[in-house]
Amino acid sequence: MSRAMICGGGRIPFLRAFSDYTELDTIALGAAAARGALERVGLRGEDLDAIIWGGVILPPTAPNVGRELALELRLPPRIPAHTVTRACASGLQAITDAVAMVERGEAEVVLAGGSDSTSNAALTMPETLIRKVGPVVMGKKAGFGDYLGLAARLSIGKDLIPRQPRVSERSTGKLMGEAAEDMAQRHGISRAAQDSFAVESHLRAARAWDSGKLAKEVVGISLPDGRRIERDGNVRGDTDVEKMAKLRPVFAKDGTITAGSSSPLTDGAAAVIIASEEAAKRLGLQPLAFFRSWAYVGVDPADQLLIGPALAMPKALQRAGLSLGELDRVEIHEAFSAVVLCIRKALASDAFARERLGLERAVGEIADERLNVNGGAVAIGHPFGATGARMVLNLASELKGGGRGVLGICAAGGLGAAAVLEGVA
Amino acid sequence: MADRLLSLAGSSPARRVAKMIGVSLPPGLERDNGPWKEQSLAGRSVDVLLAPAAALGSVLASGLARLGANVGVVGDAAPFQAAGEAWARPSLPEPTAAPYGIVLDVTGIRTVEELRFVYEALAPRLGRLARCGRVILLNRPPEGNASSQAVQWAVDGIMRSLARELGRSGATANRIEVPPGAEDQLLPVLAFLMSPRSAYVSGQPWKISGHLPSQFVPTRPLDGRLALVTGAARGIGAATARALAREGAKVYVHDHPSAKEAVEALAAELNGVPVLGDLATAEGRKVILDLGPLDILVQNAGVTRDKTLGRMEPAQWDLVLSVNLSAVLELAEKVELRKGGAMVCLSSIGGIGGNVGQTNYAATKAGIIGLVEALAAPWAARGIAVSAVAPGFIETKMTEAIPFATREVARRLCNLSQGGQPEDIAEVLTFLASPSGRALSGRVLRVCGGNLLGA
Repeated sequence: MSRAMICGGGRIPFLRAFSDYTELDTIALGAAAARGALERVGLRGEDLDAIIWGGVILPPTAPNVGRELALELRLPPRIPAHTVTRACASGLQAITDAVAMVERGEAEVVLAGGSDSTSNAALTMPETLIRKVGPVVMGKKAGFGDYLGLAARLSIGKDLIPRQPRVSERSTGKLMGEAAEDMAQRHGISRAAQDSFAVESHLRAARAWDSGKLAKEVVGISLPDGRRIERDGNVRGDTDVEKMAKLRPVFAKDGTITAGSSSPLTDGAAAVIIASEEAAKRLGLQPLAFFRSWAYVGVDPADQLLIGPALAMPKALQRAGLSLGELDRVEIHEAFSAVVLCIRKALASDAFARERLGLERAVGEIADERLNVNGGAVAIGHPFGATGARMVLNLASELKGGGRGVLGICAAGGLGAAAVLEGVA
Repeated sequence: MADRLLSLAGSSPARRVAKMIGVSLPPGLERDNGPWKEQSLAGRSVDVLLAPAAALGSVLASGLARLGANVGVVGDAAPFQAAGEAWARPSLPEPTAAPYGIVLDVTGIRTVEELRFVYEALAPRLGRLARCGRVILLNRPPEGNASSQAVQWAVDGIMRSLARELGRSGATANRIEVPPGAEDQLLPVLAFLMSPRSAYVSGQPWKISGHLPSQFVPTRPLDGRLALVTGAARGIGAATARALAREGAKVYVHDHPSAKEAVEALAAELNGVPVLGDLATAEGRKVILDLGPLDILVQNAGVTRDKTLGRMEPAQWDLVLSVNLSAVLELAEKVELRKGGAMVCLSSIGGIGGNVGQTNYAATKAGIIGLVEALAAPWAARGIAVSAVAPGFIETKMTEAIPFATREVARRLCNLSQGGQPEDIAEVLTFLASPSGRALSGRVLRVCGGNLLGA
C-alpha cells in the first residue's frame, strides 16, 4: 500500500455571508480555491486522477459541486468528480475519502476540499405550494380553469412566503446555537470563559496573518467588479474582552452565547492535494503530513448535539495508537467557543472516559498553547463545507517537519469527526 | 362511548365549576406512544433518595445519567456526580423544586426504625411532585429473619397506598424488586416505568425474576423480529401490532375471519401480513401454526360471554374457554419461538380479582397466570421469555358493550379514576416482548391504573 500524503493546498479568504462574495456561488468559490491549490502546490490539472468535494448547502440544480468546478476550471473532462456531504465535517470527509482512494490504489493524485456559499442558499418555498402548483403545472393537459382554481386556492401567508433558512436540526427543531447554549449550561461554561476564548481566537488568527503563516495557505481572489480579496474578512486583531462583554446573548434570554463567541455565517472554499508517496516524488510535490487515522461517530442529537468530537477524537487516537499527551497540536472546530470548551472539559474528565469511552482515565488535558494555535472558526469564519479542508491544510502546514496533531469537528445531526495527522520529518 | 368527565377535565372553566361544586375530575394523563427514545428522561428532574445501606446508588447514578435525567440526591452523591459529569448533567446537592420523579432506594432497610426513612424522605417532597410524576420504590425480595421480612413487606403497603394518594394528580407509584446480583437488570425496567409510556401502571410491584437477563436497547428494540398478534383487528391487539411495528418488528396481524377488512387494512398500514383464523376451531389455529417460527407471540385474542354461573348456557362456557384458554395453551405448546424470543399473554384484572358474570372469562384469565408461571423456568432454558399483562378497565369495543351505569362505575374504580387506553397496554406488551423486558419473565403485570379490585 502506498501512503497518501497531504501535499499542500490553498484556500480563498473567508468572508462573512452577504458581503463581497454574494455574487459568487459555491461553485465559483470552489473553483477559485481549487485553482489556487493547484498553483500553490505546482501541479497541472491534467495530473489529477479525481476530485472529491464537500458541501452542505448544495445548489439544487447542480449539486455535484466537485464536477461543476472542474468543468468551470476547464480541467480535462476525463477527471471524474463527486461531492460528499456530512454537514460541517464535509470537507474532512472529502479528504479522508481521497486518502482512502489513494491508499486503495484507485487513484494517485486527488484534489479534495469543500466550499459553501451561505449567501447563495436557495430560499425554499413551502411544500404546500409545491403540492398545489405541481399537479396543475406539471400535470397533463391543465386548462385555464385549472389555473384559475389554483390561483383561488393559494394562500399568501401559507404558500407564498419563502421559508427563512435556519441552521436548525430537522429531528429536534432546535437551532444549532440553542443546542450549544444548552451544552454550555450543562457543562457550566461561563460567558466570561467563552468571551476570552473568542478573543484569543481572533488574536491568534490576526497574529497568524501578521506572521505570514496564513498568507501561505490563502490565495487571493478577483471579484466580478475587479477588486481583489486577499485576507479573511472576519478576523479582528483589535478586539478585547471588554468589547465582547458588551454583546447580547442571541440564543436565550439569560444565555451565554453571543454573536462574538459564535462562528459567523461565512462564504469560502478550501482545497488540498492528496497524492501517493510515489506520485508526489514523481511530480516533485512537497508532502507536508499524512493521516495516521480518522474516526466518525454519531451521538443523540436530542442530547448534546455538538459533543461528537469528544468521542471521535479518542477513537481516532486509539486507532493511531497515540495518546493525547503525545500530540503537539490539537485543533477543535470552533462552531461556538462554548462547544470547544465543553469538548475540552469532557476530554479532561475521568468520569466521561469511564462511562462514555470505556477507558480507565481521562483522555487528557489540552493546554492553551497546543489548542487552535492559529485561531479557529469564531475568528476566521465557517463556510460549512470548507472548514474541514481549512483545518487539514492548516494543521498539515503546522506539522511540516515532524510532529503530530489531532483535529475534531462537530457537525449537525449529532455527528463528530476526528483525524490524527503526522508531519513529514 | 367517550369518557365525558375526562373530556370535561380538559377544559379549564369546567375544572373551575367542578371544583366549586366539589366534584373531582379525573386527571389527564401524559402519555408517550411514539418511538422509543435514546434518552427517555431527557431534561426531566428526578430526586434520588438513598436510605441507609442502599445498594443501588451507583447503578441509579449511571442509569439515570444515561437516560438524560437531571438528578438531585439525598445520600451518597459521589457516584451521581461522576455519572452526571460524564453526561454533562451534574447532579444537584439539593433535590429539585418540582421533581418529575422520585426514586427511593430502600434495599438496605431491615428494621421498623429504618423504615421511618421512607416517611421522612417522602413527606416533605410529595407535595412538589409534578403532575403525572413517578414515584418508584426499590427494594430486595424479602430475606433474613421474620421481622426483617415483615419490614421489607411493609414497603409494598407504602407503595400501594401512595399509588392511591397520587392518583388524583395523574402520578403513579410502583415498586421494583431487585434480587441481589440482578442490579444490572434495573435500568431497562426503571427506564420504562419512569417514562410516560407507563402512564396507566400504578400500585404494581415489578419483580425481577432472574429467569432471563434483560438487555437495554434504547431505540428500535424489535428490529428484525417477527411477531404475531392474535385478535389484532382492533382495540388492544391493534394498538399492540402498531407498537411492535413501530419498534421495528414485522407483524402478522391475526383476527377472526369476520374481521377480514380491518385485519387487511391494519396489515397494509404496518407493512405486515394479514392472518385470518377462528381460534375456536382446529383449522383456525392451524393457520397460525403453519406460519413457521416466530420471535414474538402476543396472545391477545379473547371473547366474553357474561352470565352468572347458574344462568350460563353451555355454549357460553365452551366458547370462552376454547378461545381464551384452549387456543392459548395450544399455541403456547405448538408455535415455535426462536431463541431470544418472547410470548406475552393477556390476562385480566378479572382473572385476579374475579367479577360477577365472568366465571368463564375469569377462569381463562387466571389460567393464563398459571401458564406463565409454569412455563417461565423451562422456557428460560431455551432462551424464551414468557409473561402476561392483566389489564384493568380499558376503553375498547369490549368495554363499550358494558351497560352505562356499570361502565361509569368501573371506569372510576382505580387510582387514576379513568379507564386506560389500548395503547397503555400495547406499550407494556411491547416492553415485555423487547430485550428490555426479559428480566420480568414469569411475571403477570397489572396495567389497571391501580384498580381497587384485585392485586
